[in-house]
Amino acid sequence: MDKREQQSLAKGTIAVLVVAALSLVIKDGYTSNLIIWMAIAALIASSLRFVLLIGELNFATAAFVGLGAYGAGVVLTILEWPFVIALVFSGIVAALIGFLFGYVTLKVKGPFFLLIGFAFTEVVRLIYTKIDIIGSNSGMVGIFPPDLLAPYYPTFAILVVGIMLLMLYKIENSHLGKTFKGIRDNDQVVLAVGINVHMIKVLCLTISAFASGIAGGLMAFVNNVISPGDFSFLLSTFALAYLKVGGEDKPIGPILGAILLVALSTVALSFGGGDHIFFGIAIVLTVLLMPKGIVGLYDKWRQHRKGERAA
Amino acid sequence: METFIQLVFTGLQIGAVYVLFSLGLTLIFGVMKVVNFAHGQFFTMTALLIAVILPFFTAAGLSVLPAYILAVLIGIGASLVFGLILYQGGLRFFQRDLEGSFILTVGVVMLMEGIFLHYFGGVVRAVPPFIEGSVNFLGVNITMQRILLIIVSMVFTIILYRVLGSTKIGKAMRAVSIDHEAAMLQGVQYKKIAFAGFMIATFLGALAGAIMAPLAMISPTVGSDYLVKGFIAVIIGGLGSVPGAIVGSLFIGMIESFGGFFYDPSIANIAMFALVMITLLVRPKGLLGNG
Repeated sequence: MDKREQQSLAKGTIAVLVVAALSLVIKDGYTSNLIIWMAIAALIASSLRFVLLIGELNFATAAFVGLGAYGAGVVLTILEWPFVIALVFSGIVAALIGFLFGYVTLKVKGPFFLLIGFAFTEVVRLIYTKIDIIGSNSGMVGIFPPDLLAPYYPTFAILVVGIMLLMLYKIENSHLGKTFKGIRDNDQVVLAVGINVHMIKVLCLTISAFASGIAGGLMAFVNNVISPGDFSFLLSTFALAYLKVGGEDKPIGPILGAILLVALSTVALSFGGGDHIFFGIAIVLTVLLMPKGIVGLYDKWRQHRKGERAA
Repeated sequence: METFIQLVFTGLQIGAVYVLFSLGLTLIFGVMKVVNFAHGQFFTMTALLIAVILPFFTAAGLSVLPAYILAVLIGIGASLVFGLILYQGGLRFFQRDLEGSFILTVGVVMLMEGIFLHYFGGVVRAVPPFIEGSVNFLGVNITMQRILLIIVSMVFTIILYRVLGSTKIGKAMRAVSIDHEAAMLQGVQYKKIAFAGFMIATFLGALAGAIMAPLAMISPTVGSDYLVKGFIAVIIGGLGSVPGAIVGSLFIGMIESFGGFFYDPSIANIAMFALVMITLLVRPKGLLGNG
């Protein structure tokens, strides 16, 4: 582990702890829900970015979030197992299905993988509506965290999201993460040094699916109600907006994007404007004006200042 | 037997709309190598404008035919202007950039759907039929409106086939879709060809909206429903392949018609998506795609 990575990890840990401590102070229900939504959005956007490390845009992210949420719902309300198991299960079920999905579909890439992910999200969503035991069209209700934890749920959610984000960061900077980027840049070279490219790609998708599943589980516990309509491809589109606005080059990008857009969209909603128009404009303007997002703008500004100082 | 003919006919009619739709998608992919998610908005825009404008004209005393023609012209014209803005203002910079163009067009979809919803409301609108009456064919009753739809779709498909097959611009488009750099070396003006291809595709999408207006329940999101089906058709047939788009569309039309009758519509949808995934896995380039 080099020094820079150690520093970033330390900074990240401190940031997570500070936000978690802050959430203990906030007693206002709406504000603390807002913080949870931001955290969950950041985790979903980060898991979308994680698959981008191997160069694929994974539109099945929404499906994995949905699987996590439904997984938690089934374990808690139908099997009546405890909360912690439900949350862990939400990640595991998404990872398992992510593994199978990736094993079969990662043989294709580019537009084809993107469209398969899109189709997969819609299939999974339609399948929920056909199963009566999970409430078909109307979905599941009564997914609550245990009474003891309920007052501290925002803090808990932030800690879980923080751990997941730090884990994703750690993997990205490991040897494995470098292999992911190698595949993105040129998979033939990676293949030539004797690495099983297909299985590495599957592993990347599985890890991302696990993170998405945990995000789904957390989401089920904060919303208490889930329905098939919550997990359409729009969810992936929103995640993409967070990622694009924040900037996809650095791990902090999707987190910044999620915090900014979730905050702004609640403001937009209070004006009575549709959030569709808002997100649409955000995506279009970002893609046209600042293709590298907020992180890209910041880097540019810093380089500019460095140049001035040198001159 | 009568049910069978009726279902085949319904399948043909649904397929005819998808053909116009997917021809546009496949044309854009062919010349620009991008996936245009905003293609459904041309459909929505035309259909919505016709639904809104037509009552004005009939109230002003115009008879059905001129009122309809005028409304269709305005609807398609507005879509062409929108297409022009979309191309010149954005997509032009994202040629051959799959990810960038995808993100941009997804943003445009959300923006346009939000705007439609804001100005036209979420109410479902209906448009009176363009021509009344029906014909009896092998014991099955078929409305003239549906026959007109199939004829229009066929006529424009044949025109497009002709244009691509034997005119200079059509040949240039096919050359660009195979290898745009080699085509440019031969003196093909790539930018002009890409623009022409995009505008033709826009026109086809708008046309689909215009002829479908009297038969569809028009809402601000109607285009997206057709877009998804159009994509399925194009993927099954092969991205970038014109005959593939036609075959795929008719196939999807039949699944929707038969599956919807014998099972239920959502089973038909699941079957379609499953089919897409299988097609992509077995033959990623589609049934008739080259390579």
